[in-house]
Amino acid sequence: MKRLRVDRWTGQLLLARPGACPASTPRTALRPAAASRCAAVRTRSTRAMPEIPTDEDYADGTDHTRFPPLEKLPPRATSLPSPPPERALQSAKLAALHARLSLPEKLPLQTLARALVDNSADENPLFNNTNLAFVGQSLIHYHVAEWLMCRYPRLPMEILYAAMKGYAGPAALHHVARSWGLEHAAAPGGEVDPGLLQFSLHKPGNAIVTLGYKRAEAEGLQKYKWRHGISSRVVFDDDFGQVVETDKATQLRRADTEYGNEYTRSLAEKAYANCARAVVGAIYAHAGREPAKAFIRSHILSRTLDLSALFSFKKPTRELALLCAREDFEFPIARLLSETGRLSRTPVFVVGIFSGKDKLGEAAGPSLEVARNKAAMNALKSWYLYSPGEHVRVPSDMLAEDAQPWTPAYIDMGEIIGR
Amino acid sequence: MTIKALQAVSVGRNGVGAFVLQCKKMDFHYCDWAGSSRGMNGFIKSLLPKFAAAHPQVEFTVSPRPSKHPVIIAHYINGREKAVCVRNMEPYDILKKAELLRDASGEKLRRVTKPVQSVNESVRGIWSPYHGNGMRV
Repeated sequence: MKRLRVDRWTGQLLLARPGACPASTPRTALRPAAASRCAAVRTRSTRAMPEIPTDEDYADGTDHTRFPPLEKLPPRATSLPSPPPERALQSAKLAALHARLSLPEKLPLQTLARALVDNSADENPLFNNTNLAFVGQSLIHYHVAEWLMCRYPRLPMEILYAAMKGYAGPAALHHVARSWGLEHAAAPGGEVDPGLLQFSLHKPGNAIVTLGYKRAEAEGLQKYKWRHGISSRVVFDDDFGQVVETDKATQLRRADTEYGNEYTRSLAEKAYANCARAVVGAIYAHAGREPAKAFIRSHILSRTLDLSALFSFKKPTRELALLCAREDFEFPIARLLSETGRLSRTPVFVVGIFSGKDKLGEAAGPSLEVARNKAAMNALKSWYLYSPGEHVRVPSDMLAEDAQPWTPAYIDMGEIIGR
Repeated sequence: MTIKALQAVSVGRNGVGAFVLQCKKMDFHYCDWAGSSRGMNGFIKSLLPKFAAAHPQVEFTVSPRPSKHPVIIAHYINGREKAVCVRNMEPYDILKKAELLRDASGEKLRRVTKPVQSVNESVRGIWSPYHGNGMRV
């Protein structure tokens, strides 16, 4: 192995300056004599070395002659919890994100930078995105809920909650924010690029960006799985019908224990979701109602969710019989439409469910029982997933100035079996 | 309770609703000394300012890479990156490579055999042997 020549290292490092030598210069001319190597290199540079700051703000033990700072940070930036707002104008990532989302011109980069600071990174509500995220989540939930209720007026409450969560829940908004090309900083601080999402995995942050009450029996619900009906969930719980979690102490202890555990992943997901909400809130604050609505429509409601895959029936035939009784249809009867290979290993039965002469549903299954149940499920799904049309109007359409007169939306009488 | 809800998360379809350009960052590396970078240096001087101004949604960085061939590295939203070596190329050829990287989705290149890929269910439905009049053999 070759011997390392330490005395050459400093000279090479000093040579690697931003403006390198022109190609016409012979290489031998650049190689200084061994005796005066270090001194000679500095005098021959065609460009001045980067200015070396001498302020005490940069006195962190770094040798700035060898490692010049990349960007001139404002004084004491490293001691701040999040980047100062004026640095937002210099961030290329932030400007690119602004253009990528086609955000309105009225939305300044400083606000967008603030939308990227989670409350776990900076607890000061003047500098984090809590306020914007709260506005954003109210708008998102409002628009998703009104669209679901007008588009699918017969959805049962449980399914409506699940659909709300599928479109506007933290997992969905996390995917939305990721699809914008957001990246997060390894750790928050005043010196990081303002175009990076900043959150801390070591403290969960205490800001509340959801509406709901703390239940007195929350512990029992979690521990003993007490039954809680849909009515109390409408009143007490958050917009997805989930019990509002308030006990963070046990989770907090878990956060630092292992790298990349379930809890830290949920913290990252929450931070991304809050950022997506905050961007919506920022659009609303700076550009107004219509751009915010258009943004929600194009980024959140345009996503695909198969609502028929959300249903899980326990006794579909009984529920269908109750439905027919309520709607004054004739009692549903299952009839075998066709079959093949009854005595074989793979029989197929096609069963239709009839109410009088009307066929309500039909399905194929490997046994008569399965086929009948599936047919009843199909009949119920076609009832529950009734839709007045793809381009149904929603109440917020009336807020536009030149709106047509409102035609009442279809309102269903309710679920078949009350809970 | 007769109906229970299963949990599902909506799936995004880029271009339905909003379109987000998948290339988020492009790095241009050059060398001042080497001859293979001559075209790249000309591209950076003459064509890159216009190209960068036309694409505000992409972050551009230009940095020297002494004693190496010039290269364009594009970073994509899905986390992948693509690098193209542009040694000895003319500036307009390099522009074509930059446009190629800009338009790429970031996915691995694979052969597309089906004309349409969709998450929507078929409007015609799936053919069933148990329905219709059947066929007399």
